[in-house]
This record gives sequence, C-alpha cells and structure tokens, in this order.
Amino acid sequence: MKADFSGLGIRHVEPVGWVFAVMNFIFLLCAVGLGLFLVVESVPVLRSEGWGFWLGENWWVGETFGALPMICGSLIVTGLAIFLVLPVALSGALFTSEYLSSSIRRRVKGVMELLAGVPGIIYGLLGVSFLTAGVKDVLNLLDGNTLFTAGFLLAIMILPMVLTLSEDALHSVPSEFREASESLGLTKLQTALRVVLPQSLPGIVGAVLLGVGRAMGETIAVMLVIGSLDRVPGFNFFVSGQTIPSKLGREAAEALGSGLHWSALMGLGLTLFVMVAVLTFSGNLFIKRSSQ
Amino acid sequence: MRRYEGLWIGLVLFLLVVWGSPSNAATALRIQVVGSTTVLPVASRSAQKFMESSSSRILVNAGGSGVGIHSVAGGRADIGMASRGISLEEKKRFEKSHLKIHPVGLDAVACVVSSEIYESGIRQLTREQIAGIYLGEIRNWQEVGGPDRQIVVVDKERHRGTRHVFMQYIFGNASQRTPGTLLVTGSNNEEQAKIAQSDSAIGMLSFAWINDDVKALALLDRGKEILPTWETVRQGSYPIVRKLNFITAGEPKNEIKAFIDFVKGPEGQKIVAESGYIPIESSQP
Repeated sequence: MKADFSGLGIRHVEPVGWVFAVMNFIFLLCAVGLGLFLVVESVPVLRSEGWGFWLGENWWVGETFGALPMICGSLIVTGLAIFLVLPVALSGALFTSEYLSSSIRRRVKGVMELLAGVPGIIYGLLGVSFLTAGVKDVLNLLDGNTLFTAGFLLAIMILPMVLTLSEDALHSVPSEFREASESLGLTKLQTALRVVLPQSLPGIVGAVLLGVGRAMGETIAVMLVIGSLDRVPGFNFFVSGQTIPSKLGREAAEALGSGLHWSALMGLGLTLFVMVAVLTFSGNLFIKRSSQ
Repeated sequence: MRRYEGLWIGLVLFLLVVWGSPSNAATALRIQVVGSTTVLPVASRSAQKFMESSSSRILVNAGGSGVGIHSVAGGRADIGMASRGISLEEKKRFEKSHLKIHPVGLDAVACVVSSEIYESGIRQLTREQIAGIYLGEIRNWQEVGGPDRQIVVVDKERHRGTRHVFMQYIFGNASQRTPGTLLVTGSNNEEQAKIAQSDSAIGMLSFAWINDDVKALALLDRGKEILPTWETVRQGSYPIVRKLNFITAGEPKNEIKAFIDFVKGPEGQKIVAESGYIPIESSQP
C-alpha cells in the first residue's frame, strides 16, 4: 500500500512514510498549538489594555500592565550580546577554519561544542558571583546589576555556539574555491575574507540567528544579573532593567491561575514569540536574497 | 566494542540508579510545601526531622509568600508558607478555598545596609528617612549623615512577605510604589547577596539573614532609638514584627495535620529557635 501525497506535491511514499508524516504533523501541531495557546491566553490582557500593553511603561499588578520596559530590555540586551559576540565569533571562526591544521581544529571544535551545551544557569552563577562585581569595579558604576552585564554574560554564553556554527559554514565552502583564489595570487587572508566569507554568509547568518534566539529566550542567567527593575532604560545601558524572560521567571509562579496577571505574562510570552519569529523570518529572507 | 565500554558502563549505572531509587514513593503520601523563603528553613529542617519517624515524604520549595498562598489555594501545594497574613484582596479571591492560618513562629524585619555604610557611622534611620530613600527623594548617603556616595536602593518583588510588613511600617501601605528603587530582588538569599556585594546598599531583611556583610539599623521613632534585637522584639517595642505562617485550604487532615502539629510542638519550636526566629509560645505575653 502506497500513501498518496500527490496533493501536497509529494509522490511515491513508502508505508513508513506515513509514520514520518504523522511525526511531522505532531511537530506542526506543537508549533501551531503553542502560538494559539499564547494568543488565547493573552486575549484578556489585550482586551483590557489594548495597544497600551505594548506602549505602557508601568507594570503594576492589579492596576495596569505595560510591557514596554521588558520589550526594550530584551532588545537592548540581545543587541548588546550580538554586538559583542560578532567580531569575536567571526574572527575566531575564520582562524579556526582557515588557519588551523585539521587535528588541532578538531580539538578546538570539540571544546567549543562542549561549551555550547553548557546550560544558562551555569553562566548565571558565574555572572552573579564574578561578573557583576567585575563590571561594577572596572566601569566604576553604582552597581553591577545592569543591562550591560546581562548583555555581556549572554555574549559569553552564545559565543561558543555562534563560533562553532559559523565555523561549520566557513569550513563547508569547497576547497576548490580556495585553490582557485590562491592560484590567482590572492593571499590567504584575502581568500578568507573575499572568497570564503561571502560564500558562507547564509550559514553564518543562520548561526547568528540561533545565537540571538538563545540570548533572547535566556531566563535564569539574565534574571540573576539584570537587577529586575521595570523601567524604560533609554540609551543608558549601565542601569538595571528587565527582559521578557526574566520578568516571566520572576512572576510566573505567583501569577499561575490568577486571571489578568497570568494573562499579562502570557501576553509577554506572545510578544517574545513574535519577536523571535520576526527575527527568524527576516533572517531567512536575507539568506534567500543573498543566495540569489 | 572497546570504545563503547565507558558508554555501556554509564548506561548500566544510570539504569541501576533509576530502578534502585525508592519505589515506595508512589505509595507513601507526599506533602508539598511551597512559599516564603523566610519560613523555608523552619519547614525544611522540620521536614527532615519529621520524615525520620514517618513514611510520608515532604517536599519543600521556595517561591515567596504570594506564591505560597496562591499555590495552596489553587491546590498545587498542601501547605503554603507565608511570612505575612493573607491580604484582603487574596481573601476575597480565594474565598472558596477557606484558607486557614497556622502560625509557627515569630520574626522581625530589619532595615539593613551594606557593612561599609554601617561602619561609616550610619547606625539608625527614622521612618521618614527610609521613606525618602525609597521614594527617591534622598539619593545620597550624605543627606542622612553618611559618606558622599549614591544609595543603591534594593527592593523586593511586590508579593514578598518581607516587603509587605516593611512597607506597611514605613508607608502604612503594604503595596507602596517605590520610584527610588534601583534593584529588585526575590528571595532573602538573593537580597542578602546583592546588599553584601554592594558597598552602599539599603534593603529589608528578616533578622535571621543579618550577618557581618549585611548590618541591621536601629529605627529612630520620635527621638527614641529602637535597636534591632530579639530583646526589643520580645518586649514588644520593635515595630516590624510578623508571624510566620503555614497555610492550608480548610482544616488540615491526617499527615498534613501531623506535620503542622510537629512544627508547632516542642521539637518543631526548637527548630524555629535554631533557625533564628522566636518560638510561638514564648512570644505570647
């Protein structure tokens, strides 16, 4: 018996294909279900606050829910992390891929992949015990629990992942490209920057996007070092703030099953969901554009 | 197969641990205790003692007084821990749950500062000064007689019991907004750590969390200095005092009742005292 997927543009499916199809359906169900769940749960708060939910600056439980401080905090912290991580990750990836001998490269990659799997809480503990005090002393701040600290910590956290994935992208560029370029008289550096890097751009964008996703969603590490104060920080990154996940982490247990407060937290979740979705989508669009 | 040896040994050990762990967990009664980090030391130490002579398993988790009350009302916990009473709003919302309060001890909340500030000569503050600091009107320690250093104002999450009683005393309003705040913390441990890390912080902590890095200030009330000691608490002159409560939905039964009675009994009250609080009987005049 053969499954017929001709309506979906798929043909000749073996019986086991049905199993795969069901699995795929489960995945789709999860994705759609999650989105629907967030939308449905956040309807009450959106109904009572309207656009003010995203534009309001005050989050006073029982009175008004404004998510602007958390949205700004999330954007700033993630932006800072990417800004700090990009130069390091790209140059590290280029060096590992283009300059290291293959046996050393394999070891370096092993270490990076190991680091990439370390959970956020470990980084959070490091951050709360060393980084906050360090940031405070080095920058001579009033206190070390700031948006900058959180961004810096996230940069350290996503560095191994972005580095190793970008390196994969660089390394997968066929060696013919390098040989051709070097036979034309380009130096190794010129080859790396002008030939290999542009070729692997889609892969690198993908790596960075995964990093952004992890940074944006990190809860506990951020919660421990950010100061957890709900306010719109403006352009001063050296003050305490709040991100969407850290807010959720602080208040979820208290709000569970309690009407509008819970709905407001779900609204925050929805906002984060949409932010990550928009980012991924625009990243994909960029990859498509650049590969044409 | 040699290269997979470690993997196999690991797998076998893992399975042994999984199967070997006590399987009576399903049959024994589990009591979930959730809430205030102030009450937590009492509950977890008592639970340990209690389980020595009982088959039931008691799981104690932190979260804060608000979480404790919500969890027990929502049926997600058997006993809620709260370092404050049940607020009017909560009473109204959880009317159907018939929440019942079981006081197990007495605690006091101090206004605390970083040790550097304490050593620089600040030993006491008036209620108005503390209010000014939390409202953002007083921003430098100089204004209250300290060194020329900005004040790091540490607040707690709004549902925390410690914050309720502290703000009730300072402002007469348990959920007062504090625009002067610089950091918001959750548990007592977190606040203690943040104040200790800073050299110019002010905050609020239960007496049991005061140590060498985090010093308690005396309160100056109408020209009279009230020291933050158990002595003044016992005399009834220290103003920021609260009961440590266990909360159940309706009358507790069976094992849950046994555990609460244990904490209220002589052994439990000894643990209350060891944890740095005042046992419930000795506090009653």
